[in-house]
Amino acid sequence: MTDSVTPTRMDDRMDFVRRGLLRGAVAGAGIAGLGLALGGSVAFAKGIGFPALALGRLKNVDAGVLNIAYCEAGPADGPAVVLLHGFPYDIEAYAEVAPLLASAGCRVIVPYLRGFGPTRFLNAGTLRSGEFAAFGADLLALLDALALPRAVLAGYDWGGKAASAVAALWPERCAGLVSGNGYAFTEPSAALVPALPESEIPLWWQFYFQTERGRAGYTKYRREMNRFFWKQWSPTWRFDDATFARTAGSFDNPDHVDVSIHSFRHRFGAVKGDPAYAEIDRRLASLPAIPVRTVTLDGSDDSAHGPTDGSAQAAKFTGPRTHRVIPGAGHNLPQEAPGAFADAVLELVRADRRTR
Amino acid sequence: MSDPNKLPRRSFLEKAAIGVVTSQFAAGVPAFAQTRAASRPLKRLEPLKSIEAGVLNIGYAELGPANGAPILLLHGWPYDIHTYAEVAPILASQGYRVIVPYVRGYGTTQFISSETPRNGQQAVLAVDIIALMDALKIQQATVGGCDWGARTACILAALWPERVKALVSVSGYLIGNRESGKAPLPPKAELQWWYQYYFATERGRAGYEKNRHDFSKLIWQIASPRWAFDDATFDRSAAALENPDHVAVVIHNYRWRLGLAEGESKYDDLENRLAKAPVITVPTITFEGDANGAPHPEASAYAGKFSGRYEHRVVSGGIGHNLPQEAPQAFAAAVAELARL
Repeated sequence: MTDSVTPTRMDDRMDFVRRGLLRGAVAGAGIAGLGLALGGSVAFAKGIGFPALALGRLKNVDAGVLNIAYCEAGPADGPAVVLLHGFPYDIEAYAEVAPLLASAGCRVIVPYLRGFGPTRFLNAGTLRSGEFAAFGADLLALLDALALPRAVLAGYDWGGKAASAVAALWPERCAGLVSGNGYAFTEPSAALVPALPESEIPLWWQFYFQTERGRAGYTKYRREMNRFFWKQWSPTWRFDDATFARTAGSFDNPDHVDVSIHSFRHRFGAVKGDPAYAEIDRRLASLPAIPVRTVTLDGSDDSAHGPTDGSAQAAKFTGPRTHRVIPGAGHNLPQEAPGAFADAVLELVRADRRTR
Repeated sequence: MSDPNKLPRRSFLEKAAIGVVTSQFAAGVPAFAQTRAASRPLKRLEPLKSIEAGVLNIGYAELGPANGAPILLLHGWPYDIHTYAEVAPILASQGYRVIVPYVRGYGTTQFISSETPRNGQQAVLAVDIIALMDALKIQQATVGGCDWGARTACILAALWPERVKALVSVSGYLIGNRESGKAPLPPKAELQWWYQYYFATERGRAGYEKNRHDFSKLIWQIASPRWAFDDATFDRSAAALENPDHVAVVIHNYRWRLGLAEGESKYDDLENRLAKAPVITVPTITFEGDANGAPHPEASAYAGKFSGRYEHRVVSGGIGHNLPQEAPQAFAAAVAELARL
């Protein structure tokens, strides 16, 4: 089940990115070939891309309880791909992946999750829920709002929960799933079961967030904490200050702390979810099978979720499923190994095209 | 150090936080251990006695002549009276009457009534010691403490200065303030308090209940990263954590600090006085080890809280958090020095 992928070297592009030469380039413009490259790895189209997605053209759309801000790249009639970031990251995680997919002819949508960046709640009275069901509902609402009947859904961390929720509960909307860290859902009671003492230390912040001091600490030190998480969970990723800074502004979203704290308290059963998502939550808690074609990815250096051979979760994937460990990547898979991540997405886009 | 990412070297705890420490933990400290355990049996503090005092029947070790000048030695968490395994005999041999009680929730100390709340708030631990002194008819004692025991010793000295001849306190002035306990610290500092946040959750209570022995050993290792204690030494103390009230008292202690559990209202007046961070007037020596892996204040932060004769001593040589057990000569010498005044 496990095969390894050599990360595509991004050094040349990264150099351009770092020097800001590509900043502001219009996403998806000037694509060399609009047809999907059907063989081999992703070709890099020179001069294309949005190195800082947030600085590119952002769109927004009312979707469910949110006004979702998102970046769109690639041809409007290309096969749709939605890329979903995790916590504490933002759409910059796809700064490299999105142009790769756009240049391969995909219509790429990269939304900010609730509580991140310019995405906003429409109603002040809506619970700032961070439950996984909410992320799934938001994604479904986005597909509806953009009139996307189907899309390849790719995500990791919270974004992986969102993508997996739609893949499991509305598989007709999902043309393929890329999920960081495999099957996204666990028994709700599992969060209440203690691990061995030394294994609890890496989770200290989740316990911290259960307390009001933890909420105050996250509010005050969200950048410091999130940088701490980046380093902890991706110990071999050498990101620079500018890279972190491009994402860190997303944590200033007025709902960010509420959504984040609610999320970690909800998984400990310490707060109630939004009744609007009770049915989705109930179905996710039953650990539904994922019937769509799936690629699961683990980073070999992910210390938030150690790499696996994927076999333990195999039964949850009732469609064709491939599992890969990406050497040298940590938790922030698409930003650390954009080539491998984009390859996985393209594989599903091609497979979907073949079967339809 | 506001940016944890710029630290030159990761501490044990920081390594543990990224999950790379398990094998090191397994292969680490105990390597030193087994030979010593096999070659000499560990002495226990004895004789153990017990006496009804307040809401407790307090178990304690008593050493030295009954008419000696009294010295009280107070242990912390997750330790027991054997923090003073070597200190107590040293002081007893110098003619002092040395009393080393088990804190509520530890060892042979028992609650008299099953109805008494298993309260761990800071004031009540001091009230227990005043009750013990009353029961033993000790009007005044020199008091030494470490960790929770140092906090209790500070409280005794601050609120009952007539009962405390002198104070020896590891890590200085430790009287807590629940209001300031609400204020978050930078992330790296909060990581040091990881177990306090763990205990705030039901998972943490369950985890401590289930893995008490290994959990406490991990705390020992983090708190004293250069102390090569052996299994026999740890197990001698860990037995005291099997007390039936232990988990309840410990969890309440840490939750109370964060404002997540209420204390008993009858101690409100004492807590209100403690919340003002009262000055300690009795002669005091504070200690710090040069390798204390537990969260602790800088000595400069508390020097001003001691208005009487005062001295701060740093013990070098890899001395960690359980200072009286790791550096018994230095600790005993300080106690004797003040007891002689």
